[in-house]
Amino acid sequence: MRAALFCPGRGSYTKKSLRSLPADHPWVQSAEALRAEYGLTALLELDGAKKFHPPTHLKPSNISPLIYLCTMLDAKTAADEHEIVAVGGNSLGWYTALAVGGALGFEDGFRLVQTMSLLQEEFSAGGQILYPMTDEHWRPSAKLVAGINEAMAEAAGEAFPSINLGGYAVLAGTEAGIETLLEKLPAEERGPTIYPIRLAQHGPYHTPLLQPVAERARKELAKLEFRCPATALIDGMGRIHGPASADPAALRDYTLGEQIYTPYGFTESVRVALREFAPARLVLPGPGNSLGGICGQILALEGWRGIKDRDTFDAVQDGDDPIVISMRRF
Amino acid sequence: MAAQSRVQIVEGNLDSYLASALPATGVLSAAAPLRRGTSLTARRAIRLFEDQALSRALDVTARELKKTQRSYYTISSAGHEQNAILGALLRVTDPCFLHYRAGAWMMARSRQHPGATPTFDTLLSMCASSDDPIAQGRHKVWGSRALWVPPQTSTIASHLPKAVGMAFALERARRAGVRSPLPEHSVVACSFGDASVNHATALSGINAARYAHRRGSAMPIVFVCEDNGIGISVDTPRRWITEAFSQLSHLKYFLAAGDVDEIWDTAARAIDHCRAARAPVFLHLKCVRLWGHAGSDVETTYHSLRHIQEVEAQDPLLKNARRLVEQGAALPATLREILRTTRERVRAAAEEAASRPKLTTRAEVMAPIAPEAQERWRQSAEGRPPDETRERIFGDALPEKATAPSKRTLAAHINSALKDEMGRRPRLLVFGEDVGLKGGVYHVTAGLQHTFGQARVFDTLLDETTILGVAQGAAQAGMLPVPEIQYLAYVHNAIDQLRGEAASLSFFSGGQFQNPMVVRIAAFAYQKGFGGHFHNDNSIGALRDIPGLVLATPSRGDDAAKMLRGALAMARESGRVVCFLEPIALYHEKDLHDDDDEGWLFDYPPPGESLLPGELGVYHADATDLLIVSYANGLRLSLRAARHLERDHGIRARVLDLRWLKPLPHDVVREHAVACGKVLVADECRATGGGVADAIVARLVEGGYAGAMATVRSADSFVPLGPSTAAILLQEEEIVQAARELCA
Repeated sequence: MRAALFCPGRGSYTKKSLRSLPADHPWVQSAEALRAEYGLTALLELDGAKKFHPPTHLKPSNISPLIYLCTMLDAKTAADEHEIVAVGGNSLGWYTALAVGGALGFEDGFRLVQTMSLLQEEFSAGGQILYPMTDEHWRPSAKLVAGINEAMAEAAGEAFPSINLGGYAVLAGTEAGIETLLEKLPAEERGPTIYPIRLAQHGPYHTPLLQPVAERARKELAKLEFRCPATALIDGMGRIHGPASADPAALRDYTLGEQIYTPYGFTESVRVALREFAPARLVLPGPGNSLGGICGQILALEGWRGIKDRDTFDAVQDGDDPIVISMRRF
Repeated sequence: MAAQSRVQIVEGNLDSYLASALPATGVLSAAAPLRRGTSLTARRAIRLFEDQALSRALDVTARELKKTQRSYYTISSAGHEQNAILGALLRVTDPCFLHYRAGAWMMARSRQHPGATPTFDTLLSMCASSDDPIAQGRHKVWGSRALWVPPQTSTIASHLPKAVGMAFALERARRAGVRSPLPEHSVVACSFGDASVNHATALSGINAARYAHRRGSAMPIVFVCEDNGIGISVDTPRRWITEAFSQLSHLKYFLAAGDVDEIWDTAARAIDHCRAARAPVFLHLKCVRLWGHAGSDVETTYHSLRHIQEVEAQDPLLKNARRLVEQGAALPATLREILRTTRERVRAAAEEAASRPKLTTRAEVMAPIAPEAQERWRQSAEGRPPDETRERIFGDALPEKATAPSKRTLAAHINSALKDEMGRRPRLLVFGEDVGLKGGVYHVTAGLQHTFGQARVFDTLLDETTILGVAQGAAQAGMLPVPEIQYLAYVHNAIDQLRGEAASLSFFSGGQFQNPMVVRIAAFAYQKGFGGHFHNDNSIGALRDIPGLVLATPSRGDDAAKMLRGALAMARESGRVVCFLEPIALYHEKDLHDDDDEGWLFDYPPPGESLLPGELGVYHADATDLLIVSYANGLRLSLRAARHLERDHGIRARVLDLRWLKPLPHDVVREHAVACGKVLVADECRATGGGVADAIVARLVEGGYAGAMATVRSADSFVPLGPSTAAILLQEEEIVQAARELCA
């Protein structure tokens, strides 16, 4: 069955994800060897910890490679079960997508993820927050968007759009910018969660504040070997990089440039996957199910297969022919 | 086994070749040129093939969907796919006016806009779904706001004049000192076929581009003639396009033929030349037409099977596949995989597209035709230029202070209103035949060029099609054109530019593209001393039935100034196309009833006063014996008649000036009709549908008005020369007579 595959970002590995890694898998071993080269704690040790320790596990240099590894393993399984017609990802998921799609080898993909996460720790000032743009039924809310615009205007110069994430806006900025946003955005309840919420240990990703990260990344990752992918990739601008004609230099430029310091369009990438590839499934490899609802929201925004809101999405998911396949719900 | 269709045969030819082709012995790197000396790299050549394969798959799928009545458009791009080269080479900020076989062009161009979804967009358009992002289910067109592709149906090459207009306006906007939405070195492209180029409109566009260049204007336009050698069933004479266009002055001709890399290089040279020289270029792109004109066209009724097979052998996808493989740019397996995955994704997307909603109600279909924004219009109409600007324009002779009769006429007030509006609207352009130095045949534009410069007030060549084309192109480039058509009869020479193009743009683009304009037309009859039909045309029927078009016709100077402000506001704020009919015979009229009574002179209404549709003129509002409904010259005749009726027959008539003939203010007319109980429509236009009399009477009846009614109209004749005109034109005496009969 034709499927598009979307790799998750940083928020996906949680305490439920512990003990995900098969110790004897060659990729796990290869990853551990690279971790040792970086002088970092073994991933198996982190993954096998008895208790999820947020300060440790959520540290970018720990969680990013854990997610990468889990996602790569899942993606391999997914490829056995589906015809993968396009691959994309959210934020960190783009790095994974490059490796899943074959534009980077496994080890280069790992290096990209690991190095970027270390740079993120180094340039950690600022943060990211999450705020809804749709109502509880996943219908676009002009009121919420107006609230975002107002708060962003208040924080002008200090806060920036970061990720277009289905029914959510991810906003990022300096500490001052984040403080303003947290203060100005009206509280919005969704079940037990009250938005805006600040994402723990997240920096101002995909904003101009990360220009220095991009500069460092280009130096430190100069040896990464970008190739033509084997499967079409869809980047965070909604561009398709096809297997027969992608330009590895363009992939490098985007990954180590624009992608780091301009807003990431996850919504745009899923939209392009739907409209240009019309996959029967959206397969979500990797830990957690953070993109499950997000993809549902994008399907509703697109009106895909008659999905208009949360209820119609749930009905399709509960039927014989669900669209979104989350490979792990933990 | 059922016989294969030509579609299947062409697809099969390509598949068979790729199944049996052997890889080249050498392999080109992706960045290597396809052959020595070409700028087409292996990677770009493969991208072209991908775009062409996508376009082809869309065409195939359209025909598949048609079989189950799920798609409604089967005119395909098959055989024309080398136009993808133009899509790749032109910048996304080079506006493209495309004809209907531009699938591959659009696919290639879409690559330049991240996030574009040309596959699904095209399928939605073919399925006439309201989700189609451009026409929203109203038509299959190629168009995109983000890609600078204004949509049109293009079937009769009527889009060339506006493409020329936009090329002209690119430079003109800068000269006029206003910011253009397009970068400085943009060029405009427009495509058409070897058959449709024979249309007068197409030739008019090409001629205008050459003329403008000859005059020294920048004219950065690439005319792309996609020559497939046939128009529906009639072959184009061999070498006709070359013979007709390769030897013209002020038009550089390029022949793009041969292998994909040769076409690429030629097209690149043509575009580069156009961009650098700011001069018109004619790119003759050799194509073939596969599968007949459209899905319903059975080509075997006019071509032999052998001929059809010979054409199919020239399939550009087949040729390009061979070229890519033989040059070592791609493995046969790579191209097979491109075709397989492309066909699959298009088929899958088609299922979704076919399920998408259609427009169902009349209101939905018509929504973009005539957008209304009364408040914004009023606000915009009542703006005024700063005092210092007015001082610069008028010196110490402000028009509202004028006392000389010649400064209080209709012509004088239109002139002053244009000056006031030009003073506060820097995007306003005035152009037409003789409007510049001469100031118009009737001096309505006198002094405008002197005051505002040649960049904003200029003479055009003598071609109404071009004038209206320039208006459309300039409007789409952000200007506010006020073209003048010298006589109403001349508008009929070019009316499709209003009917098929300007007025339809908002419809075909769901309001995303607009071409705001106020077309000033010297109109109607009754001229003293200048007779004959072509200077006294009195039929507006052809304008009245154009959806969305606004028709204004002032009768007196003060009204004209206020209505012009309203018209410009509607154009500026809502992109409306307004025709402003100016009664020639009243331009310099001073008197109403008697010689030298100066009853038709009025004070200039200072900026800030305006009139909008629905705002009528009411004379003798307290009279209730009879209602006379009229406009333009007819109003003046009716007012004269009203005096006779009262003085000689004791009948007091209320006289209504419609002012706006489209949309007609039926509700207001009915209110007055009910108040008076008797209605006479005095219509100076031709009796048979040339004017508004039929519509007024019909709507009164339909609206429940049960009083007496009559109409007086001009004869259903062309207008003769000399005193004979009185025999066919509506006369004051007829109004008096009809009114007496009604009141008898």
